[in-house]
Amino acid sequence: MSILLAMVLLLAALAGAGVVLTRDPRSQVFALAANGTVLTLLFFALQAPDVALSELAVGTAATPLLFLVTLAAVRINRQRR
Amino acid sequence: MSVLPWLVAAWLFGIGLYGIASSRSFIHLIGCLSVCQSSTYVLLLGIGYRWGAVAPVFYDHPPGTPAVDPVVQALVLTDIVVGATVTALLLAMALQVDRKYGELDPQKLRPLVAKARR
Amino acid sequence: MTPRLRIGLLGLAGLCLLPAIWKVAAALPPFGEPTAQYGPAVNRLGPELRHVSNMVSAVNFDFRGFDTLGEEFMLVCAVTGAAMLLRGARGEDLSARAGRVEGRAVIGRAESTILISRLFGPATLLFGLYMALHATVTPGGGFQGGVVIASGLLLTYLGEGYRGWRQLIGSRVLDAIEGGGALLFALAGFAPMAFGRAYMQNILPLGTFKDVFSGGLMLVENAGVALAVTGGFAMLFLEFMEETRALESESGG
Repeated sequence: MSILLAMVLLLAALAGAGVVLTRDPRSQVFALAANGTVLTLLFFALQAPDVALSELAVGTAATPLLFLVTLAAVRINRQRR
Repeated sequence: MSVLPWLVAAWLFGIGLYGIASSRSFIHLIGCLSVCQSSTYVLLLGIGYRWGAVAPVFYDHPPGTPAVDPVVQALVLTDIVVGATVTALLLAMALQVDRKYGELDPQKLRPLVAKARR
Repeated sequence: MTPRLRIGLLGLAGLCLLPAIWKVAAALPPFGEPTAQYGPAVNRLGPELRHVSNMVSAVNFDFRGFDTLGEEFMLVCAVTGAAMLLRGARGEDLSARAGRVEGRAVIGRAESTILISRLFGPATLLFGLYMALHATVTPGGGFQGGVVIASGLLLTYLGEGYRGWRQLIGSRVLDAIEGGGALLFALAGFAPMAFGRAYMQNILPLGTFKDVFSGGLMLVENAGVALAVTGGFAMLFLEFMEETRALESESGG
């Protein structure tokens, strides 16, 4: 049990580093979704089902979508200028 | 093992801060800010955890079984949802910056340079 | 300040703080050991004091209701700010069609995507509603159910396409839902004051343990939060998507 927790914690640290080190915004969206999934697993392992539910819906669906739509809007605006 | 969550939280905050300082795009910067936010979630939930305890929902277990701390879970849960709306506000501001200056690079947008362009 | 100097200063600050971080991490209570007394007290006394089985919801809506009131208004402020920024800068000559980028092929939606989205969209909406209603019994609540309902709306967008989705979701309804939810939460606190009790004191009948309608005033506050979160996130999606609309001149009227 403690091995599982230690591994999930290290995975969360790696996922966070992955988000930062992915410099291109279009690829960072997928890194954000992966980070959201890993954090959901971590919160689940820490016996917090309510927190895992909100992180799942927010971190994997809502936030990456907002990033993608912002990037699309930036691209359309630049094309219009 | 007993200090690992605190170190992971410090690591996430540190690397998020490095990402904010060295970012070349505002949208990348907002993603790094969300990494900083997640470090606080890890720290709070780590403080509330107990070995061998169950989730603080007494539907299957009878009330009285050792459970983890519900107060920090309540804090983190509202924080996640509100953090997402603040991220949306920041993205709206980044859209405005791009519309006005045509540039999303924080290192190219300095106050004096922007004034000179106008 | 050049980028290298900035990173150098950050590294220097990190190096100076590293021994302090190590010392603090070692001085914090070991992971898994009991720390505070408030949490175990809530776990011990919560079920019999409030007849609920989800302690996190009890802390959110009853024991720490003020904090949730503050978070609620933070959410409304952030959504209002984003909507004001986006609506104020948008032009008037925008059509109802999705925008196109020059030189990129327009790929239509696959039929399997449409089928899966039409199957799972309403199912996700129903699941989010279930999660929001069973706040005091199982893991769930207004915050979680609200965001799941909002993600169900995303699946609806995938299934119907941009124009159909915009016809489904009206902006005024979302404004009303979001504001109404926050108002319901704030006013729910005033109802006990009409009976001479404190603000947000739980005066409604508490119900039976493990029943859906247990918790008294918590259910009203939970409904307010679910409405506000659903309306807020759906409004954010709508406002951001509207940024990508095509101009009237591009679409030909």
